[in-house]
Amino acid sequence: MHKLLIPILLYAAIVTSCSSDDDAGAPISENVEAPATYVFERAGVSTVSFSGQTTRILMAEEIVGAFNDFDNTTETSLQNMFAHREGAEDFSDPNLNASDKSVRSKIAASKDFFESNMTEAALIKTTFDGYISTQINEVFPNQNVNAAPGIAGQIADGPTTRYVTGKGLEMNEAFAKGLIGALMTDQMLNNYLGTGVLDEADNRADNDATSTEIDKPYTTMEHKWDEAYGYLFGTSPSAASPLTTLGEDDSFLNKYLGRVEADTDFAGIAEDLYTAFKLGRAAIVAKNYEVRDAQATIIRQKVSEIIAIRAVYYLQNGKTAIEDGNFGAAFHDLSEGYGFVYSLRFTRNSVDGTSFFSTSEVASFLENMTTDGPNGFWEVTPAMLDGVSDAIAAKFSFSVAEAASVD
Amino acid sequence: MKKILIVFTCIASLYACSESDDTTPEISEDRFDRTAMLINWADKIIVPSYERFDEEVEIMKSLSANFLLTPTQENLDFLRITWKNAYIAFQNIAMFEIGPAETVRFRDRMNTYPTNTTEIEGLIAAGTFDFSLPSTNDAQGFPAIDYMLYGVGANDAAILEYYAIQANREFLFQLIENVDLLSSNVLDGWKNGYRDTFVTNDGSTASASVDKLTNDFIFYYEKSLRAGKIGIPAGVFSSNPLPNTVEALYARDFSKTLALEALDATERFFKGQSFNSGQIGPSYVSYLNFLNTIKNGDDLSGLISTQFAAAKSKLNSLDASFENQIQTDNGKMLETYDALQRNVILLKVDMLQALSINVDFVDADGD
Repeated sequence: MHKLLIPILLYAAIVTSCSSDDDAGAPISENVEAPATYVFERAGVSTVSFSGQTTRILMAEEIVGAFNDFDNTTETSLQNMFAHREGAEDFSDPNLNASDKSVRSKIAASKDFFESNMTEAALIKTTFDGYISTQINEVFPNQNVNAAPGIAGQIADGPTTRYVTGKGLEMNEAFAKGLIGALMTDQMLNNYLGTGVLDEADNRADNDATSTEIDKPYTTMEHKWDEAYGYLFGTSPSAASPLTTLGEDDSFLNKYLGRVEADTDFAGIAEDLYTAFKLGRAAIVAKNYEVRDAQATIIRQKVSEIIAIRAVYYLQNGKTAIEDGNFGAAFHDLSEGYGFVYSLRFTRNSVDGTSFFSTSEVASFLENMTTDGPNGFWEVTPAMLDGVSDAIAAKFSFSVAEAASVD
Repeated sequence: MKKILIVFTCIASLYACSESDDTTPEISEDRFDRTAMLINWADKIIVPSYERFDEEVEIMKSLSANFLLTPTQENLDFLRITWKNAYIAFQNIAMFEIGPAETVRFRDRMNTYPTNTTEIEGLIAAGTFDFSLPSTNDAQGFPAIDYMLYGVGANDAAILEYYAIQANREFLFQLIENVDLLSSNVLDGWKNGYRDTFVTNDGSTASASVDKLTNDFIFYYEKSLRAGKIGIPAGVFSSNPLPNTVEALYARDFSKTLALEALDATERFFKGQSFNSGQIGPSYVSYLNFLNTIKNGDDLSGLISTQFAAAKSKLNSLDASFENQIQTDNGKMLETYDALQRNVILLKVDMLQALSINVDFVDADGD
């Protein structure tokens, strides 16, 4: 049913938006077309720029990589990478060291969700700090111990070795998959694609007048849109036509859009997102803000779906592994699932502009996953994982079964 | 490749639908005696293979004890021979990662290669090690012993010099003792209970013995034999060939022997051939032929057998050292890979479809 519904709904949406516009005059999409690629120029100069997003993704890659570098990482070194300061020798890449950007400063930092919610933003940042300190203080000392209920250490996941806390949680996975929500998704959906940022101050007037930023080829509004794009495609070797390497370009949103796209239940989502980004950007150039905002709505819905689908996928795979008694594989899946569930907080429901899942809903999911017994994933039950999966899928048009397998 | 698989799955499912229409209801594959097949597998193939392996390992261990006391060239030579015999015997059991073997992660601990020489030297220097830790998978088992027997010096004189140091001899002994411990553990498991558990679990659900072991068998053929022994070193999964990832890297002229034995072993299991007598009993060939007399389809067992022979002939044409082969003419490695790959399709898609067994493994997520 789902497969049929989506095209029908999309078609309906398109028809509706066109016809509603007919009443007002010319169809709103008439003067805006998505270009073949994400290339936008003014007087022969590219107006596309998202270097700050590329930088943060690359920083995040190095941070996540350092989590299990037992020989070199300390709590201080990891925390310094996370809250990088310009010029500090935190990374192996000198360009990152020279940058004035940091990952931590953009955690839960969107205008729409957190500008007037600094309490929660601070708590979220602290949660990520906690992942770091747990890794160093609980997992690192037990590097050469076999993990057991209540005892941190290593556990085999097939031929791979995983390092978990006493509750079976991999901190590097919780951190990495949590970043997908707290950094990439939050910045994209709740900051750059929101009218609070796109239309901030004189952005609209400047864009109407094609008044570019000082010494820049782009208007501020164009740049904000590009920055949203950068959190999905910013590390692609050909960012203008990024779908050929989709899934290979980072360990975050790009990777998991690739995974979801590979599932035939969801094939087409990548093209839909790419088209929405191109059309929205073209709409800004054409000064057509209705089309722009319609594309933002599509992007918000589909990026939220990526997170929800992958959350369910990992919970279901973790469930199967638990049933098989394969704790190593289960803990890895559940750790990834834990991060994706955490990321649900940063999804965006276009109906009312809030997250698909409230802070307390997400907190109760995470609590349910980790408190079937005193030792977290060691005692989690299939029923509990099904319960959380059902609650997630219920907010979308996909089924748990569709999300659970990748074919 | 994933796309190809998806296409196959689609074709397979279409095929299944149309086929079920023509099949008369009273004819069912359930009539094939799965219990007799499980008994043949357990009593004629699996347990005898473990017994042979355990014998070879016992011999290796006793020679290792000699070498620990008296590290002479002669004792080194003897030890190498017993290592080779045990490694060959291992190829006959590597596919049976079920029950007690699965519990101790037998294959990963016996044969993860390339071995990590830095880690090995680190463990020796530290003086303490725990081979039950998964992080030591690549510092134990046959590949680690390969390094210790052939790789710790440029020539035998240098190797013997290395073994003038007690700690080095001690570590080699510990490596072999660990193999012996795991071998006894798994054999005892089969003899004291698991054989009956295995044979009586004769249903056709995902957790039934036939379904599980068939998956293990195909997983082994695809990942360990086709990819591990041939595909990965030949560079099928990387931008360049990786000659340093061959099995038995340090013994040099031994990788082909091991691969041939592994291929023979999978073929024997496919046919249901008794490990000791060579007699044929119920297995996939008889199962497929049985189904075929009902469904009058293609001669799948014949196709698979032909492909086993084709792969073997390609494998036979390779240099004794796969490292040499890759460096002189990698094309032959790739041809061998292709010949092995054809049976992955026949086994994993066609055979599983015929037997109504679901694949229980997928390509790793990569993270």
